[in-house]
Amino acid sequence: MNKTGVIIGIIVIAIIAGVAVSLPASSSETVNLDMGRTHGTISTAMGSPILGDPAAPITIVEFGDYQCHQCYNWFHNTKPAIVEDYIETGKANLVFVDLAFLGRDSPIAAQASYCAEDQEMYWEYHNTLYDFQESKIDGGWANSERLKAFASSLGLDMDLFNSCLDSEKYSKRIQYNVQQARDHGVRGTPGFFIVGPDGQEQLGGAQPFSVFKQVLDQMA
Amino acid sequence: MTSAIHLVFSNLSYLILSIVIFSIMLVGLLILSEYIFLEPYVVSHIPSGTEFGFVLIVSISALSALVLPMNIFRINILKKSKQKMSGGIFGSIIGAVAGACSCGPIGFAVISTFGSVGATATAFLTNYEIPIRIIAIGILAITYFTTVRSLKMECKFVPNS
Repeated sequence: MNKTGVIIGIIVIAIIAGVAVSLPASSSETVNLDMGRTHGTISTAMGSPILGDPAAPITIVEFGDYQCHQCYNWFHNTKPAIVEDYIETGKANLVFVDLAFLGRDSPIAAQASYCAEDQEMYWEYHNTLYDFQESKIDGGWANSERLKAFASSLGLDMDLFNSCLDSEKYSKRIQYNVQQARDHGVRGTPGFFIVGPDGQEQLGGAQPFSVFKQVLDQMA
Repeated sequence: MTSAIHLVFSNLSYLILSIVIFSIMLVGLLILSEYIFLEPYVVSHIPSGTEFGFVLIVSISALSALVLPMNIFRINILKKSKQKMSGGIFGSIIGAVAGACSCGPIGFAVISTFGSVGATATAFLTNYEIPIRIIAIGILAITYFTTVRSLKMECKFVPNS
């Protein structure tokens, strides 16, 4: 009886300890992470949180790389008008899915964005990366130290962020996103899918606002 | 210099060749560098901050359209060596390859196909796109001046030969 009691006690303690250890990680992992989320034919479950109204009738899915110059061009030249005219008005929303392929720092930068998401600062971190992108791929601007410095400048909890980034806990998430791009025939970055109520349309490259406007207005 | 240009391009075939080279190079490079899009609509734009790259592409296309027909003229009409031709082709190819930026419309496809070698090559081309294009323009300019000098010297003796 005593022996059984001890065994049961050990099992109960082990379960409690296991739950206690896994709680912080699992709760942060599930932030903005809907495992069943899809837009059109694309699984965006492992992508960014939704920018804008989740109930918007149109979703822009962007496949991008933080070291990509054309993504930088799109971010600075086209996206602001889309945000103003379509996202802030509730006509569309946007999801960023990582196609991190340009260099060794690309997947690390993508992982860092999800470490920022753990602290509900995904889009702030995403914007910072595109604001501070430098011209050389793997030139050091997106290495681990700089990514931590960006996080610090945004006021993130650095203990949480550093342990997240150093553990590479989101590496599988990035691989999943890259596979989504591959499965959907994305040939370069940035690549877009505009998903509306009646279907989806693919757009390749950092196209100007006029093209997005035409496609979005047709779908509305 | 203008007489050499006049000599070559007064021949309609070389003028047409020049226009064809210019058009193909310009449109091809502008598509690769995402200044022109064909789908879903044909549209062109010059994003802010990329004006210098656009000027370099126009310069490479124009110089290639000038240098290549002049060298073909030398080979065909004057039966001269193909040595200077290689400078023009080399410069044109270097200028064109610089446009194969890894985050352009074919970047992911190139890297997926060629693996780490493709990734290294495209990263290099992306990082040094502008300097490579300037070097290409330099090669084409040097080829142009040496071709013009050759044409002047060679043509001087043609009528008497």
